[in-house]
Amino acid sequence: MKNTKSSGSVLSKIFSLRNIAVTFLVVYFAVFLAYPIFKAFAGSLHDWNPLVGTYEWVGLANFAQILTDKLFWTSMLNTAIFAGVSTFFRIVLGLALALLLSSKIVKCKDSLRGLFYMPTITPLVAVSFVWMWMFDPQFGMIDRVTGLNINWLHDTKWAMPAIIIMTIWKDFGYATVLYLAGIMNLPRDVYEAASIDGANGVQTFFKITLPLLKSSTLFIVITSLISYLQAYVQFLVMTEGGPGTSTYTISYLIFDQAFQKYNFGVASAQAVVLFLFTGVLTLIMFKVSGDTDLS
Amino acid sequence: MNTKRNIAGWILTALLFVIAFITIVPFIWMLISSFAPNSEIVKVTGGLFPTPSTIENYVNIQEKFNFMRLFANSLFVAALKTIIAIYTSAVLGFVFSKMHFRGRDLLFGVVMSTMMIPWAVTIIPQYEMFTNWGLQDTYTSLVVPGLISAFGIFLFRQSIGGISDELIEAAKLDGASDTRIFHSIILPMSHNTIAALAIFTFLWNWEDYLWPFLMITDENKQLLAVGLKAFNGQYGTDYGGLFAATSLAIIPVIVVYMIFQKQFIAGIATGSGK
Repeated sequence: MKNTKSSGSVLSKIFSLRNIAVTFLVVYFAVFLAYPIFKAFAGSLHDWNPLVGTYEWVGLANFAQILTDKLFWTSMLNTAIFAGVSTFFRIVLGLALALLLSSKIVKCKDSLRGLFYMPTITPLVAVSFVWMWMFDPQFGMIDRVTGLNINWLHDTKWAMPAIIIMTIWKDFGYATVLYLAGIMNLPRDVYEAASIDGANGVQTFFKITLPLLKSSTLFIVITSLISYLQAYVQFLVMTEGGPGTSTYTISYLIFDQAFQKYNFGVASAQAVVLFLFTGVLTLIMFKVSGDTDLS
Repeated sequence: MNTKRNIAGWILTALLFVIAFITIVPFIWMLISSFAPNSEIVKVTGGLFPTPSTIENYVNIQEKFNFMRLFANSLFVAALKTIIAIYTSAVLGFVFSKMHFRGRDLLFGVVMSTMMIPWAVTIIPQYEMFTNWGLQDTYTSLVVPGLISAFGIFLFRQSIGGISDELIEAAKLDGASDTRIFHSIILPMSHNTIAALAIFTFLWNWEDYLWPFLMITDENKQLLAVGLKAFNGQYGTDYGGLFAATSLAIIPVIVVYMIFQKQFIAGIATGSGK
C-alpha cells in the first residue's frame, strides 16, 4: 500500500484506517464466529446440559442418537419440502412480477412496487400472527373467501402448506427486487439485435432474458435455500411444530432441543449436521451452475 | 400505435393494481379489524371485513403489556444496530475494494462464507459466552453480535469498486488521508447502497426474535417482537388488542422503507452488479 503524504509518521501508518478495520474484523471473527463454531463442534461430542451443569465427553453418542431419531428425519424431510417449494414459487412469482413491472408501458411503477413489497418489509413475527388469523377456521379470511372448510393450522395435512403459502406471500418481493435490479443491468443492444432478427417474446425470454439473469437466479436460489433451512419464526409462532410433528423443521427442532429442553449437546450435534448439509448444498449449487462470479 | 400502447399500458397497470390489492388484503383486514370490537371480529356471519367502530383497542393497548416501552426499546436497538452495521460495512467495503494487502482475497472469501453459517451453530456457544460475561439484560449483548454484516460488506465492496481510482488518487495527491477520503468521498457516493442496507438491516433487527428472547429477561428491557409473541400467548382471545398491537408494530419498517425507497433498487442493482 502506497503511503499518503499526510500520514508520514510511523504511528499514523500503524493506525491507518485499513489496519484498524482489518484487525477489528479478524478479532471479531475469531471471538464471535471461529470460537463458537469450534465450541459447537466440541459440544456436539459432549453430554452438555447447562441446567444440570453437565459437560461430559460422550464421543459420537449424540450423533448416533439424532441419526436414529425419527423426529430428526421427519424434520429434515419437512425442511426439504418447505425450502424447495418456497424457493421455487419465490423465484417464479418474483421473476414474473419483475418482468411485468419492468415493462415500459406500465405506469405508476413506484406505487406498485411499494405495494408488492409490503409483505417483504414487514416483520415476520407480526405477519405470522396476521396469517394465523387469516387461517382461522371460524373468522379467518381464507376459508370465507374460498368457501373451503379447512382447519389449516390444526390439520396435519394442511399445516405445512399453510405456512408455505404464508412464506411465499411474505418473500416473493425479495426476488422481485433482485430481478428488477438484474433487469436494469441487462444490455439493451442484445434485445435490439433479437428484435431485428425477428425473435418473438417467448423466444427472447428463454434465449436471452433467462440466461442473462442466471447470476441473479443463482443468488436468489442460494440465499433462499440457506435462509429457509434456518427458518423458525413462522413455525414457532404459528404451529410450534404441530399438529403432531407435521411442521417440525430442522431449525425449529434445534431451537426446541436447545432452549426448551436445554439439551445443548444434542442440539449442537443437530446444528453441526445442518452446517455440513448447508455447506455441501452451497458447494453443489456453485458447481452445478459453474458460475463463481458472485463474490 | 402510440395510443394503442397507452391503452394496453393502462389495462396492464390496472390489472397489476388489482393483484397488488389482493396481495395486501391481509394488512387491510388487520387494520380494519384493529378498529372493531371483539364480538364483531369473531362474528361468523356478515361481510368479509368486520365493521370498524371503535378506537378502544388502541386506547387500551398499554393495559395488557408495556407496549410503548417495548416499541421504544426496539426502535432504539434497531436504529443503533443499523447505523453501526452500515458504517462498519462501508469501511470494510472500502478496504476490500480499494486497498491491497496480503491475504485480502482470502479474508474476503471468509467474510462471504460466513453468510452460510446457520444461526443454530453459533447461537448456543454465543449464549453461553454472553451469559458468562454477565451481559444478560444489557443492550450490549444485542448490539455486539451485529457489529459486522457480511451482506453489507458484500454490497459496499461491489458499489465502491465502481468508484474511479483516479478520484481517490487525486484526493491523495491533495494530501487527504484514507479516513478523510472515506468520509468525504466514498460515503457520500454510496448513498444508494446505504439506502438498500438501511432497509434490510433495520427490518432484520426489528423482527429479530431469538437473540433478544434469550438475552433479555427484564420485561421493561424486552423488544417488541418478543413482547408481541408473549402478548399473543397470554391474551389470545383479545383479537382486537392483538390486531392493534400488530398494526402498530409494522409501522416503523414501512416508514424506513418510504424514506429510502427511491435509492433502494439502484442500491441493489449496483450491489449485485455485473
